[in-house]
Amino acid sequence: MKNLGRRGISWSTWRKASQTACLAGFLWLFMLTEYRGLDEIPYPVSLLFRIDPLAALADLFAPGEFGWRVLWPALVLLVFTALFGRFFCGWICPLGTTLDGCGRLIGRGRRPFRRGWRRAKYYLLIGLSAAALFGIQLLGLFDPLAIFLRSLTFSLYPAYNLGLNRLFDFFYDHRIPILSPLVNGSYDFFRDHLMAFHQPTFNLAFFTFLVFLLLLLLERAEHRFWCKNICPLGALLGLCAHRALLHRSPATLCADCRVCDESCRMRAMEGEGHRREECVLCMDCTGDCPEEKVTFRLYPENGGKTPSVDLERRGLLTAVAAGLVAAPVVRMTPETARTNPYLIRPPGATAEEEFLARCVRCGECMKVCIGRALHPALDEAGPVGLWTPLLVARIGYCEYNCTLCGQVCPTGAIERLSLEKKRKVVIGRAVFDKNRCLPYAKKEECLVCEEHCPTGEKAIVFDEKVVDADGAPRRLKLPRVVDKLCIGCGICETRCPVEGASAVRVVNEGEARRRRDPWA
Amino acid sequence: MICDRRKFIGRSIRAALAASAWGGLPVLDLLLVPPAMAATPPLAVRKGRDVPALVRETLAALGGMGRFVKAGETVVVKPNIGWDRTIDQAANTHPLVVRTVVELCLDAGAKHVRIFDRSANDPRRCYVQSGIQEAVEALRSDRVEIGYIDRRAFQELGIHNGVALSRWSFYRPAMEADRFINLPIAKHHSISKLTLGMKNIMGVIGGDRGVLHRKIEESLADINTVIPSDLTIVDATRILVANGPQGGRPEDVRVTDTLIASPDIVAADSFAATLFGYHPGDIPTLVSASRRGLGTMDLDKVQRV
Repeated sequence: MKNLGRRGISWSTWRKASQTACLAGFLWLFMLTEYRGLDEIPYPVSLLFRIDPLAALADLFAPGEFGWRVLWPALVLLVFTALFGRFFCGWICPLGTTLDGCGRLIGRGRRPFRRGWRRAKYYLLIGLSAAALFGIQLLGLFDPLAIFLRSLTFSLYPAYNLGLNRLFDFFYDHRIPILSPLVNGSYDFFRDHLMAFHQPTFNLAFFTFLVFLLLLLLERAEHRFWCKNICPLGALLGLCAHRALLHRSPATLCADCRVCDESCRMRAMEGEGHRREECVLCMDCTGDCPEEKVTFRLYPENGGKTPSVDLERRGLLTAVAAGLVAAPVVRMTPETARTNPYLIRPPGATAEEEFLARCVRCGECMKVCIGRALHPALDEAGPVGLWTPLLVARIGYCEYNCTLCGQVCPTGAIERLSLEKKRKVVIGRAVFDKNRCLPYAKKEECLVCEEHCPTGEKAIVFDEKVVDADGAPRRLKLPRVVDKLCIGCGICETRCPVEGASAVRVVNEGEARRRRDPWA
Repeated sequence: MICDRRKFIGRSIRAALAASAWGGLPVLDLLLVPPAMAATPPLAVRKGRDVPALVRETLAALGGMGRFVKAGETVVVKPNIGWDRTIDQAANTHPLVVRTVVELCLDAGAKHVRIFDRSANDPRRCYVQSGIQEAVEALRSDRVEIGYIDRRAFQELGIHNGVALSRWSFYRPAMEADRFINLPIAKHHSISKLTLGMKNIMGVIGGDRGVLHRKIEESLADINTVIPSDLTIVDATRILVANGPQGGRPEDVRVTDTLIASPDIVAADSFAATLFGYHPGDIPTLVSASRRGLGTMDLDKVQRV
């Protein structure tokens, strides 16, 4: 086999180019995850999660059929990993690229952690899988791709937009010669292509940012600390890559030199030899070797001794036990869908239990939501519902003619609905609070809710009555909800002109996805 | 005769100041009768299936667009693009009405024609679904600009003769244009009974518009004093008779093939009300507007052309 490291441009330059291109590509897909004049999004905007084996794993454990149609690329990735190793982590993963890129900015520590820490990610993967097997899916919380997209969607992109908007506002409000016309002239282009149409704002924006910041700060402790020690996707790919065909030569450290070990971001070189399940094929060692001896080949050198993953039995058992215990522990709390009437899921969402098992908390649906209605949950959906999408109707409403969230969901947690069907799916029902509603409480005309109600035959109607307004009779239109017509889109709650809490609120009563009560 | 916007606003403010100095509020209404509102305003009503021809015929009856738009002027054409609804659902102004009016403005020598509306649903969807964006862009003229409302361009103003509102924010491009052409569609609306030209002005104001519903008739009169329409063309090619202003059910749409145009917004709206079987006096908005001198609702006093 030819020496792979000697062809003009070095392998690590190729790797950096691939990382940059993939990151740019994913950012581009991210920007396209928005309504741009077409009812159907023509791009595979959730590609990142269709190639995500952790999303596939979550789907596998979820009730219902495995989503072959959507998730086959993840299996292709696993096959390639089994052949060539963890190239995904080194060459493609956008979070890995971000950590590589930001490490220099925030500085890198001096490796205070023992090598044994790398086992933690396998235990985490095993624990999460055990929990998933028993119906509690938490893989999404630790999925690096989900972490990347969540940080981008909830925090970084809104912050970027805020910054740009401030800039444009400044030059709009202050007429500075030359600069203002220039900046104002470029506004339309930015608004149409490089910015969000509406300034995005999300619940949990700051919390999500803190998690992202924590990952970055771990770089200060050690380069790729996350990838090496925690990332469950890295663990899954590592298990596949354990007997990969692509080998490093020499497989062991030379007796008189540790340069490659010192510089290895994954610490994949150990006494026993090169760990293929740890190596992300960054190829830095091919360039770092003072003797220029290091190459990667498709066949093993002298028999190819493979060091084992060497998980400790105790750790393994603890991980499985923790996963198994997670299920009953989480179920200690009352069923949230029943106790929290404001738990409104997007249209097409599967029944709550299946939804929690399928949703990988990637945030795609919340990014694409045209009405800015979907927000990540903290504890509204129970202890395991963190970052799952929630319709917060006071902030935004579900646009009647829009089906985008179902289109972008990579795991089928939100079913893809036809427009005809979506218009009829009940996600909740509006309920009036007559203590706050203006015509009832203050004897004033209003009826904004009725004006905006989008169902062809309005689900909010009114009764005209003569009421007593401080002693004088007044003719008023008093709104009420027609239950069989209301689909719970929430536009009434969004538009209600009462300050603070809306006088009409959507509750999840009668939602279409709910399973029949087994006790009824 | 057309009143210049700047002059009108200037006059109103001066009149209001004079009136308040004099201390007699009742006089305010008398002073504020805009000179444009002639005792017998012209009103053109035409029927026809061919929308562009209908628009041209109706405008010709009023003496042509040249009477309203002079060469070199900037014009705002304000259709209703409020809802994520298709043409046949009759929630937005017909795109061919908009396009033909813009063409007539260009023919009259307008320097710049802008089209916008502050939509109720997502503006991107409304501009596409209404067909208006496509129809206007098909003109391919660099003097024509259809765009979304720019959130930065609102300005809060005191409404000196306001009855329900003393302050509100208004869309600057709508106030700054030389001419404002109001292009509503005639629809049912529960709180104001009908939404016509006067209510269409709600698409160029800022703030939480829902608040206006509390005193809708006086609020509409208030904002119409700040943004008076030089010409109102009510699209009644098809009207929405129930479940407005959004609609969505074909059963609620009546095809009436009618276009109504007048420099007097109250007169145009008043005639449009008759299409729904109402007498103008049944519509509180028109009663208030007429009382406050924004125009005439007495259809016997208009000059049918």
